[in-house]
Amino acid sequence: MSAPVIQDRVQAKKEVRRIKNLPTVPGIVAKISRMVENPETSAAEVGRLISQDQVLSAKVLRMANSAFFGMSRKISSISQALVILGFDVVKGLVLTSSVFDMIQKSMAGLWEHSIGCAAASGAVATILGREDAEEILVAGLLHDLGKVVLALNLPEEMEIVQKKVASGPILFYEAENELLDYNHCDLGQWLAEHWNLPESLAEPMRFHHRPEKAVLKPECSAIVHLADIIIRAKGFGNAGDILVPPISMAAWEILSLRKTDFLPILEILEPKLANLCDLTSIK
Amino acid sequence: MKRISLDKAVPGQVLAEKLTRPDGVLLANQGAEVTEGLLRMLARQNIDTILIEEADGRSAEEVMADYENFLAGLEARFIRVKGQAVLMALKKTMIFLAEKDRDETLALLAPPDDPPPAESPAGSPARG
Repeated sequence: MSAPVIQDRVQAKKEVRRIKNLPTVPGIVAKISRMVENPETSAAEVGRLISQDQVLSAKVLRMANSAFFGMSRKISSISQALVILGFDVVKGLVLTSSVFDMIQKSMAGLWEHSIGCAAASGAVATILGREDAEEILVAGLLHDLGKVVLALNLPEEMEIVQKKVASGPILFYEAENELLDYNHCDLGQWLAEHWNLPESLAEPMRFHHRPEKAVLKPECSAIVHLADIIIRAKGFGNAGDILVPPISMAAWEILSLRKTDFLPILEILEPKLANLCDLTSIK
Repeated sequence: MKRISLDKAVPGQVLAEKLTRPDGVLLANQGAEVTEGLLRMLARQNIDTILIEEADGRSAEEVMADYENFLAGLEARFIRVKGQAVLMALKKTMIFLAEKDRDETLALLAPPDDPPPAESPAGSPARG
């Protein structure tokens, strides 16, 4: 190939360190701005909305976990972060996030995939009766952040991966592994380290294609793995390829789900997806 | 289904979601018919939008064509995982729900006294 592709993991990691900001969704940003101006808006309402935006969620969590706030333990959820940061800080984050409109436009498919995966993660977590459903939802939202890094910071590599995907029934992840010395899971992991995201969120970013490798919370990576499969099966959004990836049977066993559980999961998910479609078109 | 603002809702529509207050108190069940009284109550509870079932402007032929397209898309997406029983169960469940959605949409198109749509794959006689 002729493109000067970065095949060295160390070099790719340096690229990740250069990232200061990532794109976000203008519609949701505008809505949060309006919400925080209304004195009657509750923290829970703002938290729910922010949890649906991958980059904004990451920013809020990055700040909540920064040394400036001096927290003795990592903060993993938006609602927890909102209590500590307050509406004013959140508003500042919203405004600084709103300058990436044009880039966001090109990421529309991945945004739909991410928010859909978040909704599916939440649906699976609900069926499993998980108390940390919100955290898992955020993990679902962030799981493909490595693809955002690839698209924005490594465009030539993105292009050859996309060409490979277009050539046949091959997963984006498989094409990355074939052509590069790293994949979006590595990029996501490095970004998570750089942003000081808690391991409970970083782990599913790293292991959603290999959930059996997760150590800290294997069931969270397993849920995101399954949610990724479900949302791809729905054909909701664009994850870079159209395929349903194979399920890790180890992950399926970790979750102790039955095949009949797909029906209630999908019944929870359907109305959520209808709501998400609405959110993406807010002007 | 479709999300609409409360002031666009009209009696006779069918709710496609369960509505609860922030404290968890039930306001209306999924499947409930929209009435003037319900709309007034929801307005008092500061509900801005509701999700409704809809006859979405598609003809019966279009509903059937969309269903066939859905099946074709599903086949393409599942092409790599045909040997995995768990994922075949997921696919089967999705087809079950799509058939249900197809039949409910066709029922909304039909006059109230018509029998439910036939199961024949070619589709029942359509009202355009």
